[in-house]
Amino acid sequence: MSAPARGIETVELPEMPSLSRLYVGAAREAAKKLVGKGKGRATLPAARHHVTGVLPDLVKMTEYQALLSETKLDIAPAGYLHALSFPAAMSVMGRDDFPLPLLGMVHLRNHVEYRKPVLYRDLLDVTAWAEGLIGHRAGTQVDVVTEVRHAGSDDVVWRGVSTYLAKGVFLPSVDKPRVAEPREEFRAPLPTALWRLGSETGREYAAVSGDFNPIHLSSISARALGMRRSIAHGMYTASRALAEVGAQKGDAFAWDVKFEAPVFLPARVCLNIGDSTDAHGAWVHSAFVGWSPTSGRRHFVGSVERL
Amino acid sequence: MSTVRKAVVVGGNRIPFARSNGAYAMSSNLDMLTAALDGLVARYGLQDERIGELAAGAVLKHSRDFNLTREAVLGSSLSPETPAYDVQQACATGLETVLGLSDKIKLGRIESAIAGGVDSASDAPIVVSEGLRHALLELNRAKTLQQKLKAVSKIRPKDVTPVAPGTNEPRTGLSMGEHQALTTVQWNVTREAQDELALASHRNLAEAYERGFFDDLVTPYRGLTRDSNLRADTSLEKLAKLKTVFGRQLGDRATMTAGNSTPLTDGASTVLLASEDWAQSRDLPILADVVDGEAAAVDFVHGKDGLLMAPVFAVARLLGRLGLTFEDIDYFEIHEAFAGTVLSHLAAWEDEEFCRERLGLDGALGKVDRAKLNVNGSSLAAGHPFAATGGRIVASLAKQLHERGEVDGRPARGLISVCAAGGLGVAAVLEAR
Repeated sequence: MSAPARGIETVELPEMPSLSRLYVGAAREAAKKLVGKGKGRATLPAARHHVTGVLPDLVKMTEYQALLSETKLDIAPAGYLHALSFPAAMSVMGRDDFPLPLLGMVHLRNHVEYRKPVLYRDLLDVTAWAEGLIGHRAGTQVDVVTEVRHAGSDDVVWRGVSTYLAKGVFLPSVDKPRVAEPREEFRAPLPTALWRLGSETGREYAAVSGDFNPIHLSSISARALGMRRSIAHGMYTASRALAEVGAQKGDAFAWDVKFEAPVFLPARVCLNIGDSTDAHGAWVHSAFVGWSPTSGRRHFVGSVERL
Repeated sequence: MSTVRKAVVVGGNRIPFARSNGAYAMSSNLDMLTAALDGLVARYGLQDERIGELAAGAVLKHSRDFNLTREAVLGSSLSPETPAYDVQQACATGLETVLGLSDKIKLGRIESAIAGGVDSASDAPIVVSEGLRHALLELNRAKTLQQKLKAVSKIRPKDVTPVAPGTNEPRTGLSMGEHQALTTVQWNVTREAQDELALASHRNLAEAYERGFFDDLVTPYRGLTRDSNLRADTSLEKLAKLKTVFGRQLGDRATMTAGNSTPLTDGASTVLLASEDWAQSRDLPILADVVDGEAAAVDFVHGKDGLLMAPVFAVARLLGRLGLTFEDIDYFEIHEAFAGTVLSHLAAWEDEEFCRERLGLDGALGKVDRAKLNVNGSSLAAGHPFAATGGRIVASLAKQLHERGEVDGRPARGLISVCAAGGLGVAAVLEAR
């Protein structure tokens, strides 16, 4: 891997950390927070977490492909690589010197560049760190960057940037909340697809992604964290939209999604995908948007673009 | 081989179409196809005849019916030495069997053929859930008791619920009606226009029954002598009272009702095709020539075109190849999956910009004269047992063409188009004999 900037420590993890242990740690920390008053630190850890020799799990990948209606090819779906590398990202956010509470963070945006195909039998190196701590009108936001390389190679084949918001957390010396961006008015287009999401959607995605955040598992566990019902994983909706963009996206693409109103389960979600092509009719870009047919609120909006 | 000669329609036979869970609720696809075939055999004296080949199919097909058409042959009074194969192209199945077999006749590979189709929405195959299916397959693979127990332990209570087939498009999750509701809005088709088309379908079908048109096209079955969906006494007022059933999320732009959409239907149809020699040597009638056909498909998944718009392209290409225009067509048989489908097709063919940009024409393809459209009724009145619709249309049109004979010194000509799931469409041209 390329050498990080001076002053940045690289932490070698012996293996992918266990997400369930990270969630337990987060819950313990959340309990402490009820007594104390947050961590108050206003800087991100100057560290990159590095795991070498990570191998996709073919059984999990196959289950992922089945759940997201991806064709079961040998190439790992972009969303599966997010799930595979997610524990490394979580371990950064679970550090004692990470300034924001891990539980209850809201996923605002996700950007992935999938530059070269990764096969299920490829040995991978994963690096994750946090950057871009800035104020948000509703709290503080941070970018968690994850890079995937073929083992021993310098070339990044997959790069994900997940932007999270710690709601209601305002850190000293982090710039003041910006003026609220004017809300775009959303007028639903005609749908091109309809999803019928059962209450098991969160549990099913948790099983294939390993993301057992309690807000996705059941209405009881979600209520414990202040949600009225369980909500679908943002990455489930984004990954399903990506799958439905289809084979035209080819082997190298950028995939961007902005999450808005949460999808409370069970739910019906309308989807519109619009393709654009170049002068020769070759695909260059698809825009997608998901919304609720009942409330008309937008759940997510994004795009997939040829790289 | 390689002699291109004519393929002709000798005649057809179908059983009356029945609304689902009605008269044919206890009849399987095999039962109905055999019944329609037996009627054809009786009508044209084909007992013990070895037909060149049979092709038929069903859209909703049980896996045990892997050889549905061959089984129908074995259950009929045709020679058991008649070969057969199954075709499945969603609702275009019936028309595709006619075209494929006609090509074999034209090439001299066979002398006679029977095309057909059948569908039952009542006796639909029910499958187990994916969870149960995977567990059972794993159980089948398991060798040790421990592996077997592990497989069984994976079955969850919700897995036990059986799954009935739906009409949802696999890639969009939208039902066919929901897809058409979007297309209907895109082409600005009104509720009134759809109800008028539905009314015309019922009136035309009722009149055709009244004048005995179907006497040699339909064999009674299970107590039915006419299609049970036919409402001879329906009216625009009655149709206007029906609630919308598709596209409800479109609010006041929803226009599709149970009256201007086809119901789920059970039924079967067959068509006897032959070379001229074969028909003449047996003193059989020749109703029409199967001139040509064309299949098309649209990229509907992200809405570039509506799901059921492929016939618009198939018809344009077919007429272009034959050097024909709408002026040269005396009968238009446009399958009424929904009234909105037919009206969206008509609107597209009248749209100059669409015809220029999408069909590659100089201008609009043209206007279909409504007096020539579905003159003996179509699917809105008769019902639509998916794979059986093509055979119904081909046999009825061939007879209509034969009755008409010549128009302006040339044989009367008919155009058929059928839309199908998956963005498919098939068109054909027949000429009177």
